[in-house]
Amino acid sequence: MNPRLKRKLSDFTFILPVLAVFTIFVIIPFIQGFPLSFTDWDGLNNDSNWVGLDNYIKMFSDSHVANAYKNTFVFSIITVVFSNVLGLAVAMLISKTNRLNNTIRTLIFLPFCLSMLLQSFIWKYLYQDVFYGLFGISNPLTNINLVMIGLSIICIWADTGYCMVIYIAALQGIPKDYYEAAEIEGCSKWNQFLNITLPMLGPAITANVTIYLGWGMKVYDYPMAATNGGPGRASETIAVLIYKNLFGYFKAGYGQAVAIVFTIVIFIVSGLTAYFLRKREVEV
Amino acid sequence: MAGTSYMKKALLVAFKCLVALLYISPFYIVLIYAVKSKPELAQDRLGFPTTIHWENFVNGVKQSNFFNALWNSLLSTVISVVVLTLICSMAAYIIARRKNKLYSILYYLMLGAMLIPFQAIMTPLYKDLKAWGLIDTILGFSLAKIGFEVAYTTILITGFVKSIPVDLEEAAVIDGTSPWGTFWKIVFPLMKPIVCTSAILNTLSVWNDFQVSVVILQKMEKYTLSLTQYFFFGKNVVELGMAFAVFLLSMIPIIALYLALQRYIISGITSGAVKG
Repeated sequence: MNPRLKRKLSDFTFILPVLAVFTIFVIIPFIQGFPLSFTDWDGLNNDSNWVGLDNYIKMFSDSHVANAYKNTFVFSIITVVFSNVLGLAVAMLISKTNRLNNTIRTLIFLPFCLSMLLQSFIWKYLYQDVFYGLFGISNPLTNINLVMIGLSIICIWADTGYCMVIYIAALQGIPKDYYEAAEIEGCSKWNQFLNITLPMLGPAITANVTIYLGWGMKVYDYPMAATNGGPGRASETIAVLIYKNLFGYFKAGYGQAVAIVFTIVIFIVSGLTAYFLRKREVEV
Repeated sequence: MAGTSYMKKALLVAFKCLVALLYISPFYIVLIYAVKSKPELAQDRLGFPTTIHWENFVNGVKQSNFFNALWNSLLSTVISVVVLTLICSMAAYIIARRKNKLYSILYYLMLGAMLIPFQAIMTPLYKDLKAWGLIDTILGFSLAKIGFEVAYTTILITGFVKSIPVDLEEAAVIDGTSPWGTFWKIVFPLMKPIVCTSAILNTLSVWNDFQVSVVILQKMEKYTLSLTQYFFFGKNVVELGMAFAVFLLSMIPIIALYLALQRYIISGITSGAVKG
């Protein structure tokens, strides 16, 4: 065998396991999803009928789908904004590396390591027993209008630490002389923040906002565990709606159509966000 | 003047501690509920417990079949993490080192796949796994999890391999070492930091998983810790103390892992890591 071919073959054996797993468990199911979305499969029986574009047409006038998109975006926007604002605030508070700050970092990041399920169960009782029982603040999870805010708070609590870690790394990368020069020029702390810190954090902000937007749009565990999509369908997100179409509503084909449009929406929103944020970043 | 600056410093320290306290305060109810008996919880929920009711742990473990769930969680995590670490570092090495159209297509496909929500492949995957007899098996769950994490892990490791100098490998190739030998003897040891990071991030992902396992593992004896929490304690109203005793037990391994290896988690996140 000639040596070039031999090397190519040996290279390919390195790639093969990943290629195989990725193809079998991601690519193929993803492709299979398209024909499935044109059927009325109920998720149980082996037979199903071809219904053409019916699922797609129905989706656009389905108020439950619109409701799920609204819930998903409300959650995404609240969590993106507050996780980042709080994460940056905490990062600036403890960006210097010393014993106390390191301990505080460890503690603030801790909730992120728990499963979203456990986070939800803790907060379910926190809202019920502490917020209501102790302070008389009514439980947001049982209120149709506040339930998405209630779920967002759980996520913000858990994810502040994640944002914080990225912002601390970015803050430590800003050269000290920038601030020294600004100090000599008599620039106020607030102006230093606006004119040095924020622009220099551009790439970190882009990363955090795109990550959080992605997670926010896919939110599933929090509503499943804390409210099961309720009260009524007030906290049903798109991911939960698709799951329930397979297990619960017996409309797997319809759910698949929703999932395909959902994937396209995620690609568009993430792509546009990343594009605009990168355009705003300053060249350093 | 010295006095005021000292005061300022003390206030700042106090404020920082307050912030940290605010973030960990929710754990208070876990600790308190886990050791209180039913009448105590009914009478005074938030107060400090007078006696520690260890029987919450004993009964919770027995009723929820805790050790079975722990075993399922451990088994699926070990299988997934070991396989992911080995196959993704192999693939990342070739993707980072060889210029080839096929490999860059694969790379960009994986980059795109990171955006795909699990729900987009959930129904077909469920159908396929059912046809292959892999529903309700730990292997089926592990394979699905490996498939879903393979893109992210490979991309994370590829970024690192690109930063390793090629000189050592070139020397090995000149000496006549095979690519397989070069990889395992020279490159893989150099990848240790990123391998640790990705292994820990994947451990968190598999151990804490709910959305993949809830679709694939529907039989009670195959439940992982997450599924036990969800179906046994989340849905039925069992004794609160017992539920929280089990929650506390399932938190301990992951918190211990975090405290022991947090620098790898942090470095993974700051090196531009993106989760599922």
